Amino acid sequence: MHIPDGFIPIAQCLVYYVILIVALYFSVRWARSNLDEKRIPLMAVLAAGIFAIMSMNMPIPFGTSGHMVGGALVAIVFLAPEAAVIVFTVVLLIQALIFGDGGITALGANVLNMAIVGGFVGLYTFKGLQGIIGKYPAAGVAAWLATVIAALACAIEMGIAGTFPMNVGIPSMVLYHFFIGIIEAVLTVIVLVALDKFRPDLLAWNEGDA
Amino acid sequence: MDKKDLTLIGVAVLICIVICALSPYIASGDPDGLEKSAEDAGVPEDFSIEEINGIPEAIFPDYAFANDPENQLLQIVALVIGAIITLGLGYAVAEIVRSRN
Repeated sequence: MHIPDGFIPIAQCLVYYVILIVALYFSVRWARSNLDEKRIPLMAVLAAGIFAIMSMNMPIPFGTSGHMVGGALVAIVFLAPEAAVIVFTVVLLIQALIFGDGGITALGANVLNMAIVGGFVGLYTFKGLQGIIGKYPAAGVAAWLATVIAALACAIEMGIAGTFPMNVGIPSMVLYHFFIGIIEAVLTVIVLVALDKFRPDLLAWNEGDA
Repeated sequence: MDKKDLTLIGVAVLICIVICALSPYIASGDPDGLEKSAEDAGVPEDFSIEEINGIPEAIFPDYAFANDPENQLLQIVALVIGAIITLGLGYAVAEIVRSRN
C-alpha cells in the first residue's frame, strides 16, 4: 500500500508530514525512556526484515498481490506503536529515496498508514484479545485487522486527495487487504513464535507489562 | 554486543538474503492492492494529481539496476544492498534515540 508521488497534492502531503513529525517527537520520547540498549539489534533486524519481506509480493485473488507490512508486529514486539513509527520511518525513507517505492512526498502518509494506524490498531487489538483467545491468535487477528484498517485509511486519504473516490476505493482496498491481511497474520505469528522460542528476553510481553 | 545479539543479526541477515534471493524469481508481478484499487477506479498508470518537480531519481528504481532492469541477479544485489543499508540505518537510529538510563 505504498502511496507513490503524485497521488496526494503537495499541500495535503505537508499535513501528513506534520503528523509524521509529531509522531516522531513522541516516538523519540518513548525511546529515550523505554528503548533498552539490548533491544537495539532487534529494532535493526526488524527494519531489515521488513524491508526484505516487502519485496516478496504474494498473489491474492482478483489478479492482485500483496506483501507483509509489519506495523502490528513491531508494535506487539515492543508493546509500543512508537517503535513501529521509528522502524517504518527508516524503512520507508530508504525505499522512497533509493528504490522509488512509495513517494518521497507521500512519506508522511505512508508512515501514518503502515506504522501509526497499523501499529495502534495492531497493538490495541492484541491487548484487547490476548486475555480472551490467547496471545498468538490475538496477534494474528491484530495483524489482519491492522492491515485492513490501514488500507481503509489509505482509501480515505485517496478520496480526500481526489485521486480516486471513496465509493470505489474503500470497497476495493478493503477487499484486497482482507486477503493480504491473512499473509500479514500468518507471518506476524511465525515471527513472534520464533522470537519467543529463541529470544524470549527481547519480547516486551515477557516483562510482565503486557 | 554479546554473542546472542550477533547470532540474532546473523540469522536475520541470512533470512533477509534468502528472501532477497527468491523475490526476483517468485514474487508476484501483479499490481498490489493500492495499484489495483486505482485501476478499478480508472486511474491511468502514469497518473499525477498535480505536477511535482524536483523528485530525485531513485538509484535502484523498482529494486533493479536502472541500466539493466530485467536482470534478476542484479535485482538480488539491489535488494541485499537495501536490506544491509536498512539494517545499518535502523541500528544507528535506534542507538541514537535509545534510553541512557
